[in-house]
Amino acid sequence: MTHLTVSDVTLTFGGLNALTRVNISIEPGIITSIIGPNGAGKTSLLNCVSGFYHPTVGKIHYGKRNLTHASPHQISTMGIARAFQNLELFRGLSVLDNLLLARHQNLKYSIFHAVIFFGKASRMEAENRAYVEKVIDFMELEPYRKKMVGNLSYGVQKRVEVARALTLEPKLLLLDEPMAGMNIEEKEDIVRFILDLKKEWGITIVLVEHDLGVVMDISDQIYVLDFGEVIGSGKPHEVASNPKVIDAYIGEE
Amino acid sequence: MSSNRWFATGNYFTSYKEEQRIFFTSLDRSAMVLLILALFLWPLFIQVDNKYMLVIDNILVAVVAVMGLNLVTGFAGLISIGHAAFVGIGAYTIACFGRVLGENHMLLTHAWPLMIVFAGCIGAVFGGIVGLPALRLRHLYLAIATLSFQMIFQWTINFMDFFNQGQTISVTRVAWVTGTVSRSEHYTFWYYAILVAIVLVGFAVRNLLRTRYGRCLVAVRDNDRAADAMGMHPGFTKVYAFALAGFFAGVAGALHAYLYRGVGIESFTLSHSISFLAMAIVGGLGTLHGAFWGPLAIKILDLQVEQLSEWVGNHLTFATNLATALKPLSFGLVIVLFLMFEPRGIANWWRIVRSYVKLWPFRY
Repeated sequence: MTHLTVSDVTLTFGGLNALTRVNISIEPGIITSIIGPNGAGKTSLLNCVSGFYHPTVGKIHYGKRNLTHASPHQISTMGIARAFQNLELFRGLSVLDNLLLARHQNLKYSIFHAVIFFGKASRMEAENRAYVEKVIDFMELEPYRKKMVGNLSYGVQKRVEVARALTLEPKLLLLDEPMAGMNIEEKEDIVRFILDLKKEWGITIVLVEHDLGVVMDISDQIYVLDFGEVIGSGKPHEVASNPKVIDAYIGEE
Repeated sequence: MSSNRWFATGNYFTSYKEEQRIFFTSLDRSAMVLLILALFLWPLFIQVDNKYMLVIDNILVAVVAVMGLNLVTGFAGLISIGHAAFVGIGAYTIACFGRVLGENHMLLTHAWPLMIVFAGCIGAVFGGIVGLPALRLRHLYLAIATLSFQMIFQWTINFMDFFNQGQTISVTRVAWVTGTVSRSEHYTFWYYAILVAIVLVGFAVRNLLRTRYGRCLVAVRDNDRAADAMGMHPGFTKVYAFALAGFFAGVAGALHAYLYRGVGIESFTLSHSISFLAMAIVGGLGTLHGAFWGPLAIKILDLQVEQLSEWVGNHLTFATNLATALKPLSFGLVIVLFLMFEPRGIANWWRIVRSYVKLWPFRY
């Protein structure tokens, strides 16, 4: 099991500090939530971890590997997957193809095999399809398998987004607001998926979420960001009673 | 399993391999076999004037080229305005061999299938080089980069003595098992040769599209950020798309060179690039069979309009100026109308028909 450590990360855009000396350590096998008001830098942090941004100062390590300057496609092969906040799906493809695309690195055959589609290519496609089906089964996406992603409802698209990240076979799953804009039933579904992922699949989960009720319920560890700085961390009940956190969320009296 | 996919209510596959197949039922497969057979056999029964055979050959060459353009523009979403230049690269590869080795060298006359594949490879290399800006540029800027390649290509050919300054460089007749292909059977021979190429290339593309090498193209079209996060390098995927398009263009160019028995710059100008793009749009971007409909529609339209303008020129002498303008006018009109009313091209009609039959007698 590998730790993700974010040490002293500062991210600057022009004169603006999106993140200031952030130190976070993510323990394997648990659900870690990152919360904070709008613009606190939660998504920027995830972008740093998944390689879309590179920290101005500081380092990010996953186990022994240094992620600081790795690009997203390199990071995706290290067992870190990311579900996006704003749907970043391949809208012109079916759910099945969206998930199969996440198997890109696992499909190891040459273009000549692909052109004649015989032997290796056909066999590997079928094998990886079986894995995709496992994910579809888990995320309860069976009815939408062949549907074009662009035509699905928002809630389902969010679920496809999580499913696609899962298809990468991650050890560490970064979920960026997987429940934003969902109704209570859909939220309950996603929470159930997250808990099952932790228990049955043994995946470490980093959750960025605005719904504090959910976060307090399911997290093992919480980090609170405000204006790019970590202002509190700990178990849910510790965070809930942290005066700085209460200030940031409710404001001073 | 239902014997007819068109009327089936669902799918009843029991393995993933079954679902990978191109033809789900024996009916589908035999329909395709019959179609291909018909395409091969009709010249035996119907005698066609050489002039029209050339038009048909021309359409087929355009099909190969548009198939490549469709991969880069339709599937990978990268507008390429230099496709005719890639076709030209293929044609000039053949011409170069003729110039260096002598026109009637064994390689050109006997190993012509090899030469065609080789021309494709050269096209792929150039495609990859021209695609390099895709590592940095996007959208319109990338289109301009491809346009600049078209310009560089034309300029280079026009000013280099080696390429006869754009004047025609002749290409040899090829040999077949029956001996050298004579003038009378030239067009029919090439009809068969190009048809074989299309069948091979068509199935290759169809296979490619159901593997990682095809899916990654659509991924960079739809969302290259997500493609990056899913483990593919978006930049290199785009370069690869250009290389792929370059290969098809190179093959088309070599076929063109052999078919016309000559290579001149006038067949690979900017207007040809635009007309390839128009064929791809009219046929249907992002569909495989669109690459067949597009060239067919545009070339037949051209032919009809040519006849019309000839008639107008002969009979309505006061409108001769109009007659010469008819061809570009109708061409432009067709593109505008398609962009307005059927941006998904002729391929979409096929989709509509199929879903109608599948749902019949219900409306939806």
